[in-house]
Amino acid sequence: MIKRDLIKKIILGISAGFVSGLFATGGGMILVPAFIYLLKMEDKKSRGTSLVCILVMVVTSGFFYYRNDYIDWNTGILCAVGGIVGGFLGAKFLKKVSEKILKIMFLSFLIYVSYKMITS
Amino acid sequence: MYVIEKIERGRGLAKILIGVVSGIITGTGMGGGTILIALLTITQGIEQHIAQATNLVFFVPTSIVAIIMNIKNKNVDLKLASIISFFGIIGAVIGASIAMKVDVRMLKKLFGYFLALIGINEIYTIIKEYINSKKMEQ
Repeated sequence: MIKRDLIKKIILGISAGFVSGLFATGGGMILVPAFIYLLKMEDKKSRGTSLVCILVMVVTSGFFYYRNDYIDWNTGILCAVGGIVGGFLGAKFLKKVSEKILKIMFLSFLIYVSYKMITS
Repeated sequence: MYVIEKIERGRGLAKILIGVVSGIITGTGMGGGTILIALLTITQGIEQHIAQATNLVFFVPTSIVAIIMNIKNKNVDLKLASIISFFGIIGAVIGASIAMKVDVRMLKKLFGYFLALIGINEIYTIIKEYINSKKMEQ
């Protein structure tokens, strides 16, 4: 039983890391549901733990992107400034109802972008 | 010169706004990073590799605050985090190495398929939630 649990964690870590490295995003979308459904963890702890794991993966991938000269510091810092404001706004004012609308908007946008990128 | 400056300033503002939108989405747990990368490539014409790298820069400061809060509130399982992170590093090295070798068109296509997968998964979750809520009503 313990062994099977460890194998789950190894596969999880490698796949989340792989996606994080390849696309520089998406690790959390693998880890959070996996923690909740596979490892039976509670929601808050899953999110908190996944953040730490992803930070480690992001720093690792960042090294590769940096070495290949793909980092645009100007854009990165501007986006990060906005991101901090957005994160604060989201945490402060987001209500359940607007979250549903946001989800539908996010989804529509996602489908549009994926279509555009696949056919590009 | 003045015009160029103005355009540059406009671009800067657009990038900050993209950050704001992504930050809000991040808070809902739907993946602000994917939105950030998609918006940067589509509205700003930024190359896929660079857009992805931007998300890495974006993630560090925005997540560190959240991580500190989560550690304070005891919402981090450090033992699990270290196991996952260890194997995560191996995965990230493999993934990032491939990303460095793949050309832009291919990476963009792969990213598109990845987004489609996330979209399908989200729709599935919404339908499942809807069915569950209907069951609760009965």
